[in-house]
Amino acid sequence: MEDTFGDDDFFSDGDGEPITAQKVLQTLEEAWLNEKFCPDLLPSQADYVECMMEQIQQMEENVNKLKKNDFRVEVHHMELARIRYTITSYLRSRLEKIEKNTAYILEQEALRGPENSYLSEGELIFARDFLALQENHCKQLVLQHVPPPFQDFMPTQQSLVPNLRSHVFLRAKKDVDGVVIEGDRDSRDEEVDLEENSQHIMQYKPIANFVKDGTIQLI
Amino acid sequence: MFCHGLISLDGGCQQLCHHRKIMSLCHSYVPNYFSIPDILATQEKVPCTFEVQVKHLGFLDPGSDKRDIEVGTNIELPFWMASVLKTQRPAIADVGLPKIFKESYRDILKADPVVVDLHKLAPYFYEFGMSLCMLNHRESPEIVNVLVESFKQRFRKILDWAQHSNIEVPESKKLDNAEKIIYQAGREVGSSLHLWLTEGGSLIMAAGMVMQHKKMKLTQRDLLQ
Amino acid sequence: MDPSEVEFIAEKERVSIVPNFNNATVHLISGDVGPFRAGLPVNVPVWMALNLRQRQKCRILAPDWLDVDKLEALKEEEKASKYFTKMPSEHYMVVAQLILSAVEDDIPRIEEIRMAVKNLWDVRISKLRSSVDTFIKSGGSHARLDYLTTMEINSVRPLLPHALDFIDRLNKASEGAPRRDLSQD
Repeated sequence: MEDTFGDDDFFSDGDGEPITAQKVLQTLEEAWLNEKFCPDLLPSQADYVECMMEQIQQMEENVNKLKKNDFRVEVHHMELARIRYTITSYLRSRLEKIEKNTAYILEQEALRGPENSYLSEGELIFARDFLALQENHCKQLVLQHVPPPFQDFMPTQQSLVPNLRSHVFLRAKKDVDGVVIEGDRDSRDEEVDLEENSQHIMQYKPIANFVKDGTIQLI
Repeated sequence: MFCHGLISLDGGCQQLCHHRKIMSLCHSYVPNYFSIPDILATQEKVPCTFEVQVKHLGFLDPGSDKRDIEVGTNIELPFWMASVLKTQRPAIADVGLPKIFKESYRDILKADPVVVDLHKLAPYFYEFGMSLCMLNHRESPEIVNVLVESFKQRFRKILDWAQHSNIEVPESKKLDNAEKIIYQAGREVGSSLHLWLTEGGSLIMAAGMVMQHKKMKLTQRDLLQ
Repeated sequence: MDPSEVEFIAEKERVSIVPNFNNATVHLISGDVGPFRAGLPVNVPVWMALNLRQRQKCRILAPDWLDVDKLEALKEEEKASKYFTKMPSEHYMVVAQLILSAVEDDIPRIEEIRMAVKNLWDVRISKLRSSVDTFIKSGGSHARLDYLTTMEINSVRPLLPHALDFIDRLNKASEGAPRRDLSQD
């Protein structure tokens, strides 16, 4: 019996280019690991998440049509569970960063402007609500009880700022030339070329843009 | 094999798996507003010499019953207070070095940093040392040197303890607080890896909170909106 | 990352199985698998192989490198080389663990194979530990880590990156920057 659903579904990535569900999944898997290991919040892949959720729903409907004893039922269910894990873990990593660096993330988001937004719509609402709750909590618990000069809520002073000089493990997906590693008190700046497929440990800051454009994968 | 918090393929499988929490994001420690270690580290005392007279604060000097602090008075003050006094223009007090960062102790650390019981000498050795250097003391470069070299030499021990054993090594009590933070992070990985190697694969468990959400029949779509 | 998450990633690797049933190609979201012809080997992801095996629908063919002599040779090569050598699978340790626990009855000398894998792992891990120590002592901030597998990298995470972050902070302390700026760079 021919399995009649799955890879014949195509999506558009916004530029009119069709992408396969397989490619969408691969992008999400890469985004998941990047987000997990990156000290900073990366641009949201909400479109891909939504697209994959539709694919999952459609697949579920199709699987429900199969006979209970069809061997494919369990296999499809397992795959869907795996994809769901990847997506939830991805979203959870992002929420964790938003909770930790709320003020910083909102500040950066405002600087970037709505066209270059890194947060999804839902995440932005969450971040704002979270900050408001924090402020309210601080005021109720402490600030209203201290003398007036100390009553200001100062989110930027209190919120953690990600350390972009954190060291990360990475693999270059293509050749990347001339990455400049800042020296410290007894070493000069150093320029390195990252060969395709080579693996490295180094600071996040000099390679941040390559992670964002997909040339470098965090591992 | 792997099992998901929101979808369980086999109702019974959850009893079999280790109740191991999936490690969340793991960023290195940086001092911050709400960090208790940071508050404690900046609480360490430093010798201060007053360069101007300060009215009405004589009570800060336990060895004197005068009303004011006179020029030239030496008092040990917590770092957070001392740094404010030092950075005023003109400075109210000059800040000296606590004995652990003086040359004689630096020499001991240079000779063999591995055997030193930092916890006993200065539980916030590194953080305190870094804070002191921020005040641009003329011996700062020397202090940083000792901080960096001590850590580099002592790191091998942390590495070995963290990965070799699944119990806390008694000797690790000699680590300073910053070293301990790094050691604990390494130890968690060491023991989960040990468990994985000896008992093989386990099921991925969702954190407790997600299990409750599951009961509420929260769907993925709700999470996304 | 927890080892079980590395395992999750490694389960995407493909292995050969010999199914005992017939079925057309299965169109998974992650790609096509099959077709399945009884008695004919076919490549499937590890997670699927383990599931089919559990349901007694297939026999798993151990990858050819999962062999005492080959593993011994890899270990010797590893010992002789200054750098890390390339492993036959990017997830050799996980694949070996999973496959060996699933095929217990099908493969002879299984304990020997298990031992050989463990020996190879031990050689590489102790090499990794001394390179990490040397690297930290050298004061460098960048290192090339070709051919280290995910599970191996994971074994020095977060220890190595955190130690490097810490040294970086110590080094910056002498620049006399105001305290709060430390975290804001």
